[in-house]
Amino acid sequence: MNVLIIEDEKALARELEIFLTNYNYICEVCFDGVSASEKVAVNLYDFILIDLGLPDYEGLDLLKEAKKNNPDAAYIILTARAEIYDRIKGLDMGADDYLAKPFSLLELQSRMQAITRRKFGLKNNVVELGDFLVNLTDRIITHGGAEISAITKKEFDLVAYLILHKNRTVTRNQLSEHIWGSIINDDYDSNYIDAHIKNIRKKLNAFSPPDWLETVRGLGYKIKINT
Amino acid sequence: MKLRTKLTLFNTISKLVIVILFVALLPVLIKNINQNYTDSRLRKQKDKVLKTVKELGIKYYIQNGESYAAYTPIKDVYVSLEEDTLNENLDNIKNEVRKVEADTIEYRILSHNFHIEKRNYLLEIGISQDSVNERTGPLQSIAFVILVSMVILTIIADQVYSDYILRPLSLIIKTKLIGNKFPNFGSYKEVKTSTYDFHHLDISIHQMIQTIESTFQKEREFISNASHELMTPISILQSKIENMFEEEDVADELKVRLLEMQKILNRLKSITKTLLLISQIENEQFLKEDKISVSALLQQVYDEISIRLQDKNINYQVNINNDWNLVNVNKFLLFNLFFNLVNNAIKYNKEGGDIKVEALKEGNAYVVKIIDTGLGISAADLPFIFNRFKKLRQSLQQESFGLGLPIVKSIADFHHIKIEVASEKDKGSTFKLIFSPELIGS
Repeated sequence: MNVLIIEDEKALARELEIFLTNYNYICEVCFDGVSASEKVAVNLYDFILIDLGLPDYEGLDLLKEAKKNNPDAAYIILTARAEIYDRIKGLDMGADDYLAKPFSLLELQSRMQAITRRKFGLKNNVVELGDFLVNLTDRIITHGGAEISAITKKEFDLVAYLILHKNRTVTRNQLSEHIWGSIINDDYDSNYIDAHIKNIRKKLNAFSPPDWLETVRGLGYKIKINT
Repeated sequence: MKLRTKLTLFNTISKLVIVILFVALLPVLIKNINQNYTDSRLRKQKDKVLKTVKELGIKYYIQNGESYAAYTPIKDVYVSLEEDTLNENLDNIKNEVRKVEADTIEYRILSHNFHIEKRNYLLEIGISQDSVNERTGPLQSIAFVILVSMVILTIIADQVYSDYILRPLSLIIKTKLIGNKFPNFGSYKEVKTSTYDFHHLDISIHQMIQTIESTFQKEREFISNASHELMTPISILQSKIENMFEEEDVADELKVRLLEMQKILNRLKSITKTLLLISQIENEQFLKEDKISVSALLQQVYDEISIRLQDKNINYQVNINNDWNLVNVNKFLLFNLFFNLVNNAIKYNKEGGDIKVEALKEGNAYVVKIIDTGLGISAADLPFIFNRFKKLRQSLQQESFGLGLPIVKSIADFHHIKIEVASEKDKGSTFKLIFSPELIGS
């Protein structure tokens, strides 16, 4: 899939490019609004990531302009200026999602996947993990056709996030940012992730051992799926 | 006491004192005046008698050596003239008692000796004191009535005038000082006055408020700008670290150190985000249009925080007497308010402690109480708990940077929610939130 990254902060643009390329996206990068405006007029993209704080261009104008030529692209707004009015305006103008800087690259990727799933209506949203089936649409885990109702919303979020980033180590920090990132809080302790994982293992173990959920010592967790 | 009251009191008291003094001294004064008047009457009378003697001779009064005496029927005035056998030479006025027929009367008496044809004569003219004194009483009461009514009139006049002249001052106090929320970025409205002092006061207060406001504004702008500017470098660092994790040739040992870096970066991010949030709240960049029930809000908090309760084995109880809806609030902010309060109650609690959350109606007020059995706050520290970066209580296990309660305070202020804290060292704390009526929906 083709991604256009419009970000005036070169170091950040470069990291976004490395990361998304790693996830098999084909990336192009613009550091300013003028060249971005030229690019969107000529090329077609699946994703356009726009930094609202461009020095030479009003970010929302660029969004409007890009939508003319790329009406089917998915737009994600990136901004350090997280004012609510911009947020409302951005979504009104047809941006698909919104990420406030600083954001986790994994978060960006999971948002992009969610949009892909939504836009292309992917049906195969059930992932097989050992004896378990994880239905990402209905947000349930089943074993032998029966739903494991003991799994809480938070616990499911963690499993789903690990599935999204399958076969990669997701650090405790990344996991806790995903599930608690929007809470403004006076401490930052990722140890609770361990408690959550412990609970998940205990609940699943009642049916069969979840060997696919691996602990990466000292770092975090990983879900292994053989493809 | 108000300035106006003080002035009125002083005016009234000082005038009354003067009037009372005057009325008390009145008899003495009147007596003095009367005596002078009487004396001059006596002298005139004497002159008249002497003139008659000179013109008509002593024989007009005295014949054959007999004394002359005359008095009015009520005996208030008498004149006597006789030959003086004593060789004296009087010319004075005295108060003396005389017996006239059967009555003993006190007289003011002029005695005067004069010589005619080598004989010594004594003239006495007396005016009775009663006739003098009986005028004093009525005079005194008339004076009293006139003076008191004058005092009352002047007090009223003083009152009206001081009311008028002090009006700008009370206006300054009412509009500029009382009920003025600082910082209040309202416009300046001049208080009209012709009194220079009040004008000066008004201008000075205005200038002081302006200075405070501009300092506030600068501080807010600085925090807002600084935290915004920090977001981009943090964002770059975060992305770099995340990308390094993805690289295959990074050794596990190095990854552990990367994780530590990530953790520290998260702390920086958390502080910056919190400061930014506080500045956004203070700049009123949030809408207050949500409606949510207290029970739903507390349930959301519980969902997010239950893992922390479980981790510390804390007994958590929620009692909602009668649930109510909060209106005109910002759900995101209120969630964070409760999250931080409950989180603090956990953080500063002991292993296996208790937390009780009570939502109830106390009289007319809607109240939520968060009660913990934790470390408590000492009375000396209590006034400072809402200050930024003030770490008073040593948390047992977690890292915190002292912005939890400042967030709570800004969110509460933004919604006009009153917070009361009661705490006892080593016993626990109670945070009480009092919701104003405009936040209560049906």
